Amino acid sequence: MTTELVALFLGSSIRLAIPLFFAATGELVSERAGIVNMSVEGMMLTGAFGGAVGAALTGSPMLGLGCAVLLVLPVAILQSVLTNTLRANQIVTGIGINIMALGLTTLGYRAIFGARSREVIPGFDVWPLPYLGDLPLVGPLFQQIWMFYLVVIVIAIVGYVLAKTGWGIALRAAGDDPQAVVKSGAPLLGIRHAAILFTGVMSALGGAFLSIGDIHTFTEGMTNGAGYLAIVAVIFGSWKLWRTVAACLLFGAATALQFQLPAFGIQVPNALLIMMPYLLALVAVAGLAGRQAAPRALAQPQ
Amino acid sequence: MNATAKSTLIPRFQTYLPILLPIVAVAAALVVGMAVVVAMGVPLGQALSAFWRGAFGNAYAVSASINRAVVLALVGIGFIIASRAGLTNVGGEGQIAVGGIVATALCLMPGMQAMPVGLSFILPLAGATLAGGVWGGIAGLLRVRVGTNEVIATLLLSFIAVWLLYWSVQSENMLRQPMTSAATLPESLPIPATTQVPLLTGSYSSPVTLGLPLLVVVAVVAAVMLRRSLYGFALGAVGLNPVAASRAGVSVGLTLVSSLVIAGALGGLAGGLMLQGEQYSLKAGFSSGYGFDGLVVGLLARGSVTGVIAGALLFGFLRSGGISMEMAAGVPSALVNVLQGLIVLMIASAAYYLDRSSSR
Repeated sequence: MTTELVALFLGSSIRLAIPLFFAATGELVSERAGIVNMSVEGMMLTGAFGGAVGAALTGSPMLGLGCAVLLVLPVAILQSVLTNTLRANQIVTGIGINIMALGLTTLGYRAIFGARSREVIPGFDVWPLPYLGDLPLVGPLFQQIWMFYLVVIVIAIVGYVLAKTGWGIALRAAGDDPQAVVKSGAPLLGIRHAAILFTGVMSALGGAFLSIGDIHTFTEGMTNGAGYLAIVAVIFGSWKLWRTVAACLLFGAATALQFQLPAFGIQVPNALLIMMPYLLALVAVAGLAGRQAAPRALAQPQ
Repeated sequence: MNATAKSTLIPRFQTYLPILLPIVAVAAALVVGMAVVVAMGVPLGQALSAFWRGAFGNAYAVSASINRAVVLALVGIGFIIASRAGLTNVGGEGQIAVGGIVATALCLMPGMQAMPVGLSFILPLAGATLAGGVWGGIAGLLRVRVGTNEVIATLLLSFIAVWLLYWSVQSENMLRQPMTSAATLPESLPIPATTQVPLLTGSYSSPVTLGLPLLVVVAVVAAVMLRRSLYGFALGAVGLNPVAASRAGVSVGLTLVSSLVIAGALGGLAGGLMLQGEQYSLKAGFSSGYGFDGLVVGLLARGSVTGVIAGALLFGFLRSGGISMEMAAGVPSALVNVLQGLIVLMIASAAYYLDRSSSR
């Protein structure tokens, strides 16, 4: 009985953390390159919308995923041109893009689906890993949609590239000392453009997971702050990949708890659990949880 | 001769540019909006007349738009005060939320409704203002004490406040009305009549509240303060160069914290006015969208109080018209979001070049 509940809790913690894994890993790359990409929320929403529309129109969730990535590109390019080419305030443009994405996806969804909103759309099914998925306690960890296994691989690659390769060094330098990158002859703007595009694609995958992976439907403004939560995870993870991933997991667990605690007979206000990630992040940025390690040139145009 | 004419013409164009830019951006966004309406297959005339009726159609519509504009203007004035000191307050949403929570709690407090000489509604408003000020001040203290970026702090505090609001209307131990049946809505009890902010005309058919004259006072004080007072000068000095300001004897920390306290307090006051002058009972999502709209208004104004008032009126009427357009012509009011986003992006993308040309 209790083991089942624990297993269920582990499984749903992971499931709820998957969109954050995608978006936060993407955001981390931008931030390490010196860009606060506030538009993650709008990019996730665009991905969720693109995924839902693509899957509904073609009947194939895989094509939906492609649609999500395709649709986020203009958003990411817009953010990239605004921050890198026009040197606009990154936070303000990010918020502007989020407002616009909310409006456009809502309009688009009404125009395409009209009265058929909240309709179930084709989505991905769970892929239990052989043997691992049958394990007693930790089995549900391995009964996930394949995108989970994808994000694990992507995280490992990002970790390797950031830490061990020349690209990673150039990218981190772009965030810490942009002038040094310019002097070294590496293309600073190219690095920053690429970082934002990567964030866009990752956010779109995270958003698409929400609509065609997890619940198989699209609702207006369905990301509901998940993008901001991804940024919070990066801050809480003090701009380090493994800590960011751990933060996502923690936030996923906090969200899962609101469904699980009543099953254990523990009454904790829902709102407190939903609030928890933001509270933890506030404590983290307040410096109570160790020194901050933000990239030195964060949010500054070269 | 030709050369002198040219050199006087160019600076003149540049001095008008900051005023011209928002107008051009708004006009361009409106054109895009109309194009979207046409593209959705709605007759433009029908949409525009629905918009007009919602924004200006009758006394009630105009009053509702003005009340909305008052809230946006308060948040916007707070935004430009903080931005004078070089800070970006993105926490308007949360500051409105805590203002609403505290105002509700005070209005429903036993004995409050019997308070004499208008104290019954003034005290809750003052409490809301104070709460917003504290909420903004936390971000200010974090910025000064540990160097936390105020954008991140105000954003996080905003989420915390919004969930605090959700919590207070979900829990009977907090502000939720007593559960008499399973259908009892998760909202607070309606506030007593004496704690409501009085209507200027006294009639619910044109419900402009005392908030309007209050805003006028706040706006005049803010404009004078920013332009003529020592404090306004200190704000500008800290915003332009904190090191130089501190050498000149300005207390940088105090200036930064106080600017966010003021911004937060105005947000809290806006929340109190929304609750006591319009909604009369606290619901989850009651601050939804107002904080970001206020931020956009402050951003558009580029530091001018007059600009804030103009922007607030624009968005106040735009929102009301948008809601009516959704109901009467079937154009989703999300269109207003698209227009707002466009305006923000246009202004923000030009800002760098504007600031560079004006500093030369």
